Amino acid sequence: MSLSSTTLDLVSRLLAPTEREAVLGDLTELHITGWSSVTGVLNLYLRRRLALWKSWRPWLAAFGLAIPSSLLLMGLSVSIAQSGQRWINTNLLSASHLSLGPGLALLLSNIVLLVAWSFTGAFVMGSISRRTVRISIALSFIPCAFCLARFRVESLSRLCLLLFIIPAAWGLIHGLRFAHIRLRSALFLAAVITVLTIPAWTSKGAWLPNWALSWPAWYLVATAARSTRTFKGQSWLTS
Amino acid sequence: MIGEFEYVLLTSAAALGDNAYGAAIREQIEDTTGRRCSIGALYTTIDRLESKGLLSTWMGEATAERGGRAKRMVKLTPQGIREAKDFYNAILRVSRNASWAVERRKGIL
Repeated sequence: MSLSSTTLDLVSRLLAPTEREAVLGDLTELHITGWSSVTGVLNLYLRRRLALWKSWRPWLAAFGLAIPSSLLLMGLSVSIAQSGQRWINTNLLSASHLSLGPGLALLLSNIVLLVAWSFTGAFVMGSISRRTVRISIALSFIPCAFCLARFRVESLSRLCLLLFIIPAAWGLIHGLRFAHIRLRSALFLAAVITVLTIPAWTSKGAWLPNWALSWPAWYLVATAARSTRTFKGQSWLTS
Repeated sequence: MIGEFEYVLLTSAAALGDNAYGAAIREQIEDTTGRRCSIGALYTTIDRLESKGLLSTWMGEATAERGGRAKRMVKLTPQGIREAKDFYNAILRVSRNASWAVERRKGIL
């Protein structure tokens, strides 16, 4: 088996099985062999991948969600880790009794926000552009790699930057499996996020990152409401 | 309105009738236009036309000359025929007074 035919076999695996069958058959019938056949299949694969980017969805998933959300969620992760450490130091290590003051309330509120923002952001990223999700994931790791390389807080582990990863992975898996969530769940998530961000409305610089992280929750509400309307319309048509 | 290459592909598929599939359409396009047609351009255009509802495709039989691999058969839908006709009529209308069209008509007459 020559190098070009081995390469062709490997490259053609990038195509869907039925398409692979048709394309390899066409190349055989047209006597296109060697490297011409490899470039032909690669050309088709690249055209297919590029065609996906004609839609606004992959752009939104990559540049409206993956990059900004991972950057902002890393900031929140570090803030939570620092607050948690401070709370543990003051309440568990130095004091003899636990105090449930405003510090703990803020910490818990930030943890809930981190989980909700990570879940909803990753859910929307996975559901709006499934076929380009690998690129979106790769792009979300660029800010992570940048921050991990420059992280200089001695009392904290670098892994503190990545506290959002588990809820985000959970949201991404659900987003890839389902196009939308139930309206009730979506409304609950959006309401929790909105209520917990109310204290930040008065601070000048916080509204932009808050809305950059909160819009996926309201997007989920909109898609859930639309699908509920469609379902009701269909059941009305069939009844 | 469909594009030029889309029209060429639809017309080639229509001319091939029941024998319209990837390799045959590619040969037809290259023979009639004298231009190279890549497999990538061919299949992405077939997909686009299918998503617009102008073509339907299905997997056909495998033949020995294809190494035992199946063909992706292509057929125009009624909407595809309408779109191709519209494109053809538009080209005829827009070319009516062009010198080459007038010369061609005189040659035929």
